[in-house]
Amino acid sequence: MKKHTLIIALMMFVATFANATNEAYEKAMMKEIQALGKAGPVSELQKSANAFARIAEMNAGEWLPDYYAAVAFANMGMRAQGGLEEKDGYLAQAKKHIEKANALSPNNSEIVAVQGFITMGELAADPNSRGQSLSGLAMQTFGKAIELNRQNPRAIILMAQMEYGMAQFFGQGPEKACGLVEASLGLFAKEAAEANEGNLNPSWGKGMAEEMKERTCK
Amino acid sequence: MKALFTICLFFLVNLTLAQTTIKGIVKDNKGETIPGVNIFLKGTYEGTSSEVDGSYELATDETGKFILVFQAMGFKSQEFEIDLNGSAQTFNPILKETINEMTAVTITAGAMEASDEKKAVVLRPIDIVTVPSAMGDIIGAFQTLPGTANVGNDGRLFVRGGDASETSIFIDGMKVGNAFGTTASNVPTRTRFNPNLFKGSFFSTGGYSAEYGHALSSALALNTVDMPMRNQGDISVMSVGLGYSQTLVGEKNSLTATANYMDLSPYQAMVTQNFDWERAPYGFDAEVSLRQKWGNSGMVKAYAHTESGGMKIWQKIPGSEGRGQLVDLKNHYTFTSGSFKQIGENDWSYYGGISYSNNVDEFTLDQIAIRNQNQVVHAKAVALKGFSDKFSLKTGLESYLFSYEEGLKSENLVRDFDDLQANIFTEADYYVSNKLIFRGGLRAGHSTLADQTWLDPRFSLAYKFENEGQLSLAAGQFSQMPVEELRIAKPEVQNTIANHLILNYFLTKNGRTIRAEAFYKDYKKILTYEGTQYFYRNIQQNGSGYAQGFDVFYRDQKTVKNTDFWVTYSFVDSRRKFAQFTEMVQPGFAPRHNASIVIKHFVSGLKSQLGGSFAINDGYTYTDPNFAGQMNAKTKGFRDLSLSWSYLPKPNLIIHFACSNVLGRDNIFGYQFSPKPNESGKYESLPIRQTAPRFIFLGIFLTLSKDKTANNLNNL
Repeated sequence: MKKHTLIIALMMFVATFANATNEAYEKAMMKEIQALGKAGPVSELQKSANAFARIAEMNAGEWLPDYYAAVAFANMGMRAQGGLEEKDGYLAQAKKHIEKANALSPNNSEIVAVQGFITMGELAADPNSRGQSLSGLAMQTFGKAIELNRQNPRAIILMAQMEYGMAQFFGQGPEKACGLVEASLGLFAKEAAEANEGNLNPSWGKGMAEEMKERTCK
Repeated sequence: MKALFTICLFFLVNLTLAQTTIKGIVKDNKGETIPGVNIFLKGTYEGTSSEVDGSYELATDETGKFILVFQAMGFKSQEFEIDLNGSAQTFNPILKETINEMTAVTITAGAMEASDEKKAVVLRPIDIVTVPSAMGDIIGAFQTLPGTANVGNDGRLFVRGGDASETSIFIDGMKVGNAFGTTASNVPTRTRFNPNLFKGSFFSTGGYSAEYGHALSSALALNTVDMPMRNQGDISVMSVGLGYSQTLVGEKNSLTATANYMDLSPYQAMVTQNFDWERAPYGFDAEVSLRQKWGNSGMVKAYAHTESGGMKIWQKIPGSEGRGQLVDLKNHYTFTSGSFKQIGENDWSYYGGISYSNNVDEFTLDQIAIRNQNQVVHAKAVALKGFSDKFSLKTGLESYLFSYEEGLKSENLVRDFDDLQANIFTEADYYVSNKLIFRGGLRAGHSTLADQTWLDPRFSLAYKFENEGQLSLAAGQFSQMPVEELRIAKPEVQNTIANHLILNYFLTKNGRTIRAEAFYKDYKKILTYEGTQYFYRNIQQNGSGYAQGFDVFYRDQKTVKNTDFWVTYSFVDSRRKFAQFTEMVQPGFAPRHNASIVIKHFVSGLKSQLGGSFAINDGYTYTDPNFAGQMNAKTKGFRDLSLSWSYLPKPNLIIHFACSNVLGRDNIFGYQFSPKPNESGKYESLPIRQTAPRFIFLGIFLTLSKDKTANNLNNL
């Protein structure tokens, strides 16, 4: 009996411990995902990126912390007010993290979409000289993300932005881009409805779609 | 059971007992505070970031010994052992900056880089191919850059008072023999390679790295595309020919196969020519390019290019009646190369390869039949080791085989030579900080034919100012064996030697680039001779010379919306004793004042890019035998206005129209004189003119792929 109790206790202890680490991970992620959603200026995004980097270090097998760190750094690259070197520095960090995530979870539509998002950031940092070489690459990457998962609203809204830029360049209307915006909004709604409490999977980007609808598709 | 509960309780209590606060300010070694530093306890979720003022505060419930880590972009991480015991602790670390390849100073003396990836670039690859006056020739675009001279009756690259043979061309690091098409005298040539092949280039007008040898004045390194993006077919229909290219892309490899046919006959039938063509230039080329990824970071490339072509032209002889001399020229050319690069462990990386060029020219000049064959084999292996972020060492071995044969077929006379050269080079880069770099290199070589061993030292440094401007200085010695046509007449000739000294300022910021450079170059052991090719006499190595001057380059993509322009001015004061000259003269290929402007403007409404380029110089020297002295006359200045219009009606279709010398100026590059004076004692002359008043190019480029946005804009 005594022996059994010990084993059970030991098992319970191990289970609680494992559970505790998992819980700690989920708790930390939930908190930081919310913080990232609210982060505005670069300094806040930096804190968010740091936090995800810390979580990634603790959970070497999870792709999500590196994924979110990449999203935070990519947004820093987009929003930074400084020069090209500063923007490229953040985007290089974003690339580092998304590559780690990609190694952990290959052929993941969400990760590929962020790879495209980073390319878009590099393009936006210096459109004059990077436009021609990177716009094709960005579109191709979003295309790959959509191919991997046609239900990924982030891949679709990012593609919509590229399509809109392309249409403007060639003097065409925004119809195609707006079709993609509508499609992404539908998918965002579906995603929100299906999401469980405590969902850690990517769910950002709806604001981007709504803003684009308001601005270009009215 | 009860005991267990107590133990658990004990743990819980223990956990919540003592909270430790760690705080402080993070600074760099200049005393500036660092915001956004990631501060955490290793192995826990406990962490924070420093604020805008560099301060931080971390409160933790953990107790015991931990490692406190400070991590920030651009700085070395620092770790502290810390004992968490409930009492507040202060850490004010000073983080040391790391050398950041993205932002650190780079040596820009002599160099002009075209790349999509690196900084300190002057142009992007796409800019090169859309220069209106270039007409799709990569060299045409380089002729709008500082330090180059436009020599319209030659077409090759002339850098800072140097002749065309002083520029060496490399593809993926491997030497290209006979990179330019063979042509008749005073008929301009073009590079053999399609600009579309390349993702970037490194063009140096002096002071370059010890890695590049066999070049007195200039090195042009072209890098081929690593991995094409997608499967696609490219069709081109041009006023001068047709082409098709197919690209197949796999997970880890890709294949591009291209075939082109060119014939200027229909074009010349429509557009007036200055030259008397018996048969317009024609030719075909085929090439295959293979790329294979090697592991995570390595790449192996194989490339083969072959072409065949010819022309027949009547060249007038001054002082004689009639059509003159008929030159019948056929050329067969092959270039193949294999190259690799790989990143190893412990900051080692490797690259290298092997290339083979084979050029066969068959001339018939009146009744004389000539056959020349030039072969070059180049093998190279380089290892690069980063000893720290501040210090790296590059060491390489190279060998060259130069094999040349020339024959007078009609006389059954053949002569040849083989020269095996072995080279070793080493180069060290030392970053004192992100702002200051030193580079020192040595290059040694030995030639079996000349039985000569030499050592070329090279040195450069660069300093970056607060405003992101950079000042670089480069100096070095450069050795090159004379051209084959002379070596075969006197195989024991030794290297010609040039010494370079270059001071450069470079600033690129917010879409604007300024580059200014001053240089001094001296030449020793230049060959002088009497007679002409195949009949050189009295070859001596007693020539010398110098070139000095400065150039300025300004590029602006910002000031005028949708407009990109650059302006270049180069001043070259060059004199040398060379070839048939018995005293120091200004060479005919080295105009003193050279300027050019290139403008490209995108008009969304027209879905078009409009381009214009204007080039001007102060004329070419020549010797007029009717007067005393050498190089005693100068032509009127060269002027060329070229315009281009690229129309993109659909993303995968481009229609490109370009016209050179729109104003129809009769540019003259020199004069040819009759060998003997006429009855009135005067040497009669003929001007060396452009092939035609204008060159008009019309091309339609269609890209076929699943991705409808793909186009071959790079083809322009």
